[in-house]
Order: sequence, then C-alpha cells, then structure tokens
Amino acid sequence: MDKPVQQKHWGVSYGEMVWREFAKSRFTLCWLGFIVFLFFLAIFAPFLANDKPFVIRIEGQLRLPLFRDLNATDFSIFLAAIIGLIQLLLIGRNRKRIDPSIRSGVLWRQIFINVFILITGIMLLYSFIPRRLDATDYKSMVASGKATGAIFAPVPYGFGRTDLKVREQPPNSQHWLGTDDVGSDVLCRIIHGSRISLSVGFVAVGISSIIGIFIGSILGYSGGKADFLGMRLVEIMMAVPVFFLILTIIAYYPRSLFNIMLIIGLTTWTEDARFVRAEFFKLRRQDFVQAAISLGLPLRSILFRHMLPNAIAPVLVNASFGIAGAIFIEAALSFLGFGVAPPTPSWGQILSLGVSTTGRFLWWLTVFPGLAIFFTVLAYNLVGEALRDAIDPRLREAL
Amino acid sequence: MTTYIIRRLLLMIPTLLGITIVVFAISRAAPGDPVSLGMGPGGMMDAQRAQDVRVARMRLYGLDKPVHIQYATWLWRVVRLDFGDSIKHHREVIDLIKERLPITLTLNIISFIIIYAVSIPMGILSAVGRKKFLDRASSVMLLMLWSLPSMWVGQMLIGYLCGPPLNWFPPAGLSSNDAGTFPFFPWLADRLWHLVLPVFCLTYAGFAYLTKQVRAGMLDNLRADYVRTARAKGLSNWAVIFRHAFRNSVIPVITIMATLLPAMFGGSVIIERIFSISGMGLLAFEAVTTRDYNVVMGIATIAGFLNLCGLLLADLAYAMVDPRISFEAAE
Repeated sequence: MDKPVQQKHWGVSYGEMVWREFAKSRFTLCWLGFIVFLFFLAIFAPFLANDKPFVIRIEGQLRLPLFRDLNATDFSIFLAAIIGLIQLLLIGRNRKRIDPSIRSGVLWRQIFINVFILITGIMLLYSFIPRRLDATDYKSMVASGKATGAIFAPVPYGFGRTDLKVREQPPNSQHWLGTDDVGSDVLCRIIHGSRISLSVGFVAVGISSIIGIFIGSILGYSGGKADFLGMRLVEIMMAVPVFFLILTIIAYYPRSLFNIMLIIGLTTWTEDARFVRAEFFKLRRQDFVQAAISLGLPLRSILFRHMLPNAIAPVLVNASFGIAGAIFIEAALSFLGFGVAPPTPSWGQILSLGVSTTGRFLWWLTVFPGLAIFFTVLAYNLVGEALRDAIDPRLREAL
Repeated sequence: MTTYIIRRLLLMIPTLLGITIVVFAISRAAPGDPVSLGMGPGGMMDAQRAQDVRVARMRLYGLDKPVHIQYATWLWRVVRLDFGDSIKHHREVIDLIKERLPITLTLNIISFIIIYAVSIPMGILSAVGRKKFLDRASSVMLLMLWSLPSMWVGQMLIGYLCGPPLNWFPPAGLSSNDAGTFPFFPWLADRLWHLVLPVFCLTYAGFAYLTKQVRAGMLDNLRADYVRTARAKGLSNWAVIFRHAFRNSVIPVITIMATLLPAMFGGSVIIERIFSISGMGLLAFEAVTTRDYNVVMGIATIAGFLNLCGLLLADLAYAMVDPRISFEAAE
C-alpha cells in the first residue's frame, strides 16, 4: 500500500480490495491483533510458562534445561509458525512481483507446497525426536544452593507439575491466577491451553472446509439427480444434532486431540457444502465456465481453477465463524470430561474444575479460563463479521 | 398443501434411514466389539473356553452375521422402539428416554418461546432505528452474548447467585426435594424458580442469532418497493412496519427454527449437566461416560428423529404462511 504508483499500474487484486475494506475499521484490527497475540502465546508457550530455567549453572556446568526439554509438539508448532511466516512474506512478495491475474494461482501453489512441507516436517519431527522426561526440580536446587545463575520463564511453573501443598489457592503473588485441584499454576495452564484451542480450531475447520468445498462443488456443478441425492445426504448430516453425534463418536472412539479435531471437522462441513453448492449453481451458467467446459478442460480444472476462486468467499467467512465454533465445541467437550487426556491443559478442562468435588465454587478456576474462551471466540466472530462485510461491501451499505 | 405435506413426509423416510445408518455405522466401525468389552480383561478363564464363550456370545447378539443383516435386525428393533437394555440402569432404554424426554422438551420449548418473544421485537426495533444508538449497542451486545460459552455462564451463575451470600436461585434440579407435597400453584412457582437459570443459559445465544436474522429480514423488506408504496399511500409508520414489512420478514424467521433446534439439543447436554437436571442431555452424558452403548445409540436415533420432526414442522409452517412454497411443490 506504500507504493501506489506500482499498484495503479497493476490494478488491485480481489484479496487487496477485501483487505483494504477490512482494515478500515480500527476496532476489528484490534481484534485481529488479539488473535495474533494468541498465536504468539501458543507458539512461545514453553518460553513463557515453564518450570525449567533457560540457563542454569549446576556444579559449575552451564546447562540449558528448557531448550533440552522441548518435545516434538513444540518443534512442530515452531515449524508451523515459521512456515506461516514464510507464507505471509511470500504473499507480500507476490504483491510486488506478480501480476494480479495470475496471483491467486501462484498463491494456491505456494500454500499447497507449504502445507506439504509442514505435514512431512511434523511427521519427521514426531518420528525422530524422542520423548524426554526431565523431572528434575530446578527450583529446589536453586533454593538449596546446589545450582546458581538460573533464569526462569516469566511464569516459572510447568503445566504438568503438581504440588499438593498449594492446591486450590486463590490468586496470590506466587500464582497470579491461583492454582487448581492438584496445585498446578492456572496461568501456566491457560497459556499452554491456547495451543489446544487454536490447533483444534484450525485443523477442524481445515478438515470441514475441504470436505464442504469438495462435496459442495461437485453437487453444485453436476446438478440434477446427483445433486438431489447429495443434498439428501447433507440434509441427513444436518438433521443429526452435531453435539449428540460428537458425543456418540466420543463414546466409541479413543479420546485424543487428533480424534477430536477429526470428529469436529467431519460433522460440521454441511454449511460450507451448502454455500459452495449455491455459488456453483450461479457460476455454472456464466460464460467463463461455459467457455472452460467447451474448451474441453478436465473437470478438476473447471471446478477448482475456474469456479472455486469465485466461490471461496463465503467459505472464508464461514471458516472464521467455524474456528470460533470448533473452539466452543472443544471447550464444551473438555468441560464434560471428554477432551484431551488430563495432564495436557485445555481451557474447558480448567473450567470444569471451577466447582470442586466437595461442591465449593472456586471463582478463579471459573472466571479466567472462561474469559480466555470468551475473548478468543469473540475475536474470531468479530473478525468473521468484518470479513463478511469486507467481502460484500454492498451488504454493509445496506445493513 | 396436502401434496406438499405428503411430499415432505416421503422425503423424511430416506433421511430417517440415513440417520440410522450413520448411528449404526459409528457403533460398528468403532474399535473393539461389545462382546470383548463385556468379557472384561483376559486371564479369567483359559483361552479355549474364552474362545467358546466369545463365539457363543457373538451368536447370541447376532454379531456373527454379515453387517447388512445386523443393520436390518437393529433397524427392525428400532422401528418397534426397542433399543435394548441400559447396562447402567438395568432398564429398557426406551423407558429411560420416555422418562427423560419430557424434561428436555419442556426446557427447550420454553427457551424457544422466550427466544422468539424477545428476538422479534428486538430485531424490529434495531431495524427501524438502524445505525442509531440502540441498534449499534444491541449488535455488539448480541455478538458478545453469542460468544459466551454456556458452561461458563452456567457455572458463574451458580457460583455467584446460588451461593451463600445471595442464595437467589436453587443451584440444581428442577424442583425442591419436598415438591411432591406442594399444592399446584406453589409447585408451579417452585418449578419456575428452578427453571430461571437453565432457561436463561439456553436462550441467550439464541437471542443473538435470531435478532440478527429478524433485523436483516426487516431491513430487506423496509427497502422494498411495496413499503415505499405503502408509505406513499400515507399509511402511518406503525402500519407500514407491522402490517407490511413485518409480516413478510417473519416468514424466513420460521425456518431458522431448523438451525436453532440442533444447537439447543446439544446445549441441553451442557446445561443439564451443570444444573443436574435429569433430562435427555444428562442421560446422554452419563451414557457416554459409562459407555452404555445401547443408551447412546437410542438417544442419537431419537434426537435425530426429533430434530427431523422439528425441521418438518418448520417447513410446514413456512408453507402455511407462504402459499408460494406449497404451490410450487404441487406443480
């Protein structure tokens, strides 16, 4: 945006138009900033809240326990963050170097390659980095004078570390947001819990968008009998109350983070399918699609190169709401005790501890995780709303 | 109209079949089978005998037959509303559901009425005074309500309003312990008192959704030519809004029932768990925690069926207020 001459020369791409419209409102930019902040928390969680020091001197030897303790999950998240950053830089570079008419094709290819690298990378990381368990209590070592020069993270507690001496303590100078039923620091667990929420949101919505786009585009393009039958399928999926369906699946399948993502993704694609189908219905009659068909292009090319870029807008908007919804569902599942296994922190799970087994109401275990869920969901909803207005400015004029 | 209803009812049959297939497929595709689960960990008996018992039990439950026959058998039982026995409660699943269903339905129907009663006027007000203070304030407020997790709200309400300093509302259940001895009106008051918080938790998210839809529909209609004509005729503002614009914008609002319904069914699981209300939601929760598969399958089927009935009702109501729909279908 700082080089208007160049852009006048090239014209403005659809993405840029949407972004400009989106960036008009400071309010939404603030919330987008909040989402970026959440990403920051999720990515750097082990550096922000960890019971292992960055550096420590034990018997004259300098050690780096925190860095040694990073596991495959941490490295996968770093990899995802780096690839995400590279993608953002590439988008910036595309704007300067590539003509808008072919930009989206290039962008899709880049995203495709990056996702491929990411998935391979994560698999490699998980197969090569061994699980380590460093149970050394560095704090007592410092206290007893065995070790010196320790630099701890801002929140010097581990999310899995239990300390029954300080269980169920309200916020104090040691534990800023209090402790839970086994004496873990709540702030630390909330920081680490952001990882679960964000990853569930993104992966679940990714899965549901892909399924929705695929089914919707085929139904919308083919029409006729196939469309009729397919819509009955979609109707069936809509008629099953999603939460009951998820509970049913949870009852039968092992509870892991990936299963939860998969289940949410597999049960929430109907909206996307309907949007894409409706768009494809309209697009099918348009001249450029007819031209593509008469040129004898393969179906794949017609559907995904020619039609999909024109039908993707509602999916993007829906994705933002979908992330909010998935975070909600994950929190609800964890709250009911069907979420990820206990030592892994999740906001819903912390919230479920707000009423202790003796029936006592522990406000700090209710208010803080609840606020975290609320602000995150609100941010995604607001961004989704702004995105919708930006994509369809005519609608904003009207409403 | 009759043609339309028949058409809709016929369309319901494949959808119902589909729901049962989904539920059946989930239960059968799951790792592990009920027989080995029922037999518990190995080592209780020698291998040969365990194998014999296994085969015998497989035959007893019909698990040795091909999948489609298993499905047909199960479906035939479902048609007769026979979902088998609950492992935990040692009772027939259908009896349990019959007992719990009215509670959940009461909760949801009351919530529905309240959602519509609040949202429609609110939507109209913010559409009429659009971009004014009330409209802006309500739109931000509603989005915030929409983003509030119901388990959080429920827990906070119990913690702060039902706790010792205030003691405004009862924290759990649908009636007091000795409610059976009350005469009718005190009983009703007691019941309503218990319903306030759960119903609030079930409704507030719906306000946001429905108000937005009403507002959008009203705005569409207020801009339409016929409204301009009505104003040009010199009709009063209220007549234009209520007799013309409102009546047209209320039509799509009816179909929104279809999207609210499943969400509320899901919501009632959380709400019933928090407020210890023994409805379908709590039954489902307990069934999942105790792996009471018959109950899980029964509830999923019944919930899908009820949901479908809701969709059908919404469609019929839509056709009734908008004659074009049934007319098109009849053609």
